[in-house]
This record gives sequence, C-alpha cells and structure tokens, in this order.
Amino acid sequence: MAIINQATRELQVKIVYYGPAKSGKTTNLEQVHANVQVPNASSKGKMTSLATSSDRTLFFDFFPLEAVAIKGFKTKFALFTVPGQVIYNATRQIVLRGVDGIVFVADSQYEKMEENIETFRHLEENLKTLNLNLDDIPYVMQYNKRDLPDAAPVEYLEYVLNNRDVHVPCFEASASKCEGVFETLNMITRMLLHKFLNDGVRAAR
Amino acid sequence: MGQFPQLQQEDIDLIDAVLRELLRKSEANIALLVEKAGYLIHQCGNPEQIDTTTFATLGSNAYNAVQFMASLVNESNFSSMYQQGESYSTLMVNIDENSLLVIVFPTHLTVGSMKYYAAPAVRSIAERINEASQRGPGAALDLSDLDPTDVQALFHRKD
Repeated sequence: MAIINQATRELQVKIVYYGPAKSGKTTNLEQVHANVQVPNASSKGKMTSLATSSDRTLFFDFFPLEAVAIKGFKTKFALFTVPGQVIYNATRQIVLRGVDGIVFVADSQYEKMEENIETFRHLEENLKTLNLNLDDIPYVMQYNKRDLPDAAPVEYLEYVLNNRDVHVPCFEASASKCEGVFETLNMITRMLLHKFLNDGVRAAR
Repeated sequence: MGQFPQLQQEDIDLIDAVLRELLRKSEANIALLVEKAGYLIHQCGNPEQIDTTTFATLGSNAYNAVQFMASLVNESNFSSMYQQGESYSTLMVNIDENSLLVIVFPTHLTVGSMKYYAAPAVRSIAERINEASQRGPGAALDLSDLDPTDVQALFHRKD
C-alpha cells in the first residue's frame, strides 16, 4: 500500500498494469516512458524490463515517475506490469504485493475474449491470496488494440469485462500509437488521489 | 498483512544512524531500507554508484520470489538472500513483515561478517518500525482541502 514518508515529504504509490499475454501492458509503459512530459530528467526513472529472449515479460516491467508535488508532498508513482502468460501466475502475485491501483489492459480482439475473462478472474483470485479485494482497489479498464480489424465493439467488452457491481471507467486505446495511454494513466492516478482524499489517508497510510 | 507505517524525521534519523554504523563496522558500500512492495525508504553509503530506486524494486521482488519458493517447500521463511558477484555481492535480510535490509559489499568481504553486523541493525530498525506502527495515524497526510480539479491530469504527453 502507499507509503508516506513524512521525513522526506514523499508519497509513493504503486500502479500495476494487468492483463492477458500480449495485450499491450509493456507497450503502455514504454509509451508513457517515451512520451511523458517531465519537468526535469530526475522525475522519470529508467525503465527496467525483465523479459525473455523473445521479449515476453518474464517477471515485470517497472519505472518510477514523479508527479507534481501535492500539498508539499513529492508524489511518486511506481508503474509495473505483470507477465501475461498463465505459467507466470505466481510471479503476478508477487508483483501485486502492495498494489494501490490497477489498469486492466484487455485485448479487444474477439479471439482474445476468453483470455481476457480468465485473466480478470485470475486477478481477483491473486488479490484474494494477498488478502486484498478488488472492490477496495481503484482500477480502470483499457480496451487496447482498437486499431485492429477484428476488435470487438466496446459495448461487448463492457458487457463481458466491466460487469461487476461497480462499473469502472474504461478507455479505448491503441497503445502502439500511444492513443488512450495517457487518458488511462491520468484516470487511475486521479482515482487514487481521490481515494486518498476520501480516506483522508488515514491510519497506516 | 500489515502496512508499513509512516515515518517521521526522528525515525529516519535513527535508521540513518543505524545504517551508517552498519556500513562503518562492516565496510560495506551501500545499505538500503526497502519496503517489500518495492519502495526505497532510506539509503546510506555511496548510492550514486547505482540506481537505488530500481535496485530496491528488483531486490524486493527477488526476495518476495524467494519467499514464494520457501512456501513451495513448506519452509515458513528464508530469512536472507545472498548473491555473490566478482566485484560486489549483495545480502538481503528480512527485517519484518513489510521491510528488508539490502546490503551491497565488496566480494572480498565475507557474507558471514555481513550477517553478523546486519543482525543488530535489523533488530534496531525493526524496533523503530514497530514503534512507528504503534504511533498510529497521528501524522496522516491531510488532503482534505485539496481541490480535486487540480489533479484531473497529472501527466501530459510531449507535443
């Protein structure tokens, strides 16, 4: 969970991009890393990718990104991806530890729908193993690969994936073209800050 | 799973003194206090040598992976993790449920001596973190007068 360091006046927050294999999680991070405006070089850390030789995420991708100071607190977001392949499910649990916000990156193609659904179910299960509940964690849906010809309509994706009691914000994206990437990031960061606002960042936060 | 507490200046001062003492006695290069979700809490030594933020994140996730391995062999806890290199080695030692100590040291020093000097440091830091946890929400980050419209878009794409 978020860390407040009163001594250094820092608020540190963890966001995890979660989704099925090849849905574009790493591409999202790469686009943010390549295109984000930063006031100075130190605001954006190096992107670290632990990938296989064929560029599939093995453990996670990560980079730290600093936002404007909020009430005098330097706000640092740690952006992570998880590996999409099911065989790495244990790794996903490890990366989810201490998560504050989640971006679920779904692949819009019809043929990927079952994988999307299964991965979402895995997300809920993995959070439970960490004694976390998705209902308590801000998350957004990103329907990626909208530029592909066999992309399902957004209404269908919403019906299939965004059908829990609380309907969460969703974004259409073509991450490879950096479309929808910043909209998604800004929504999840905004939701996180609103959560802190509502909670008053109470107790241990 | 409990949460890492908020640290005040006096907490950081004490942790800093403990880590400096550890470095002085052990002759290690760098000591990091890392929260297990991947956050770097405090660093001492010559951190300009490495990207300590990334190092902390990689270290905590590697450590968590080893803990996961421990659970697979019904071992309740692997309390430390050692990596030997040609020039530098690393030792990661569990502090408590939420944090660990990461030490980078020249390979000519032994891991045994690192563990010896790390042990009292770990105890002192654990005690301080526990005290901070007991202190409760006394110094929360108050965002009550923050205007939500100020945080509509924290990040912008380059033109």
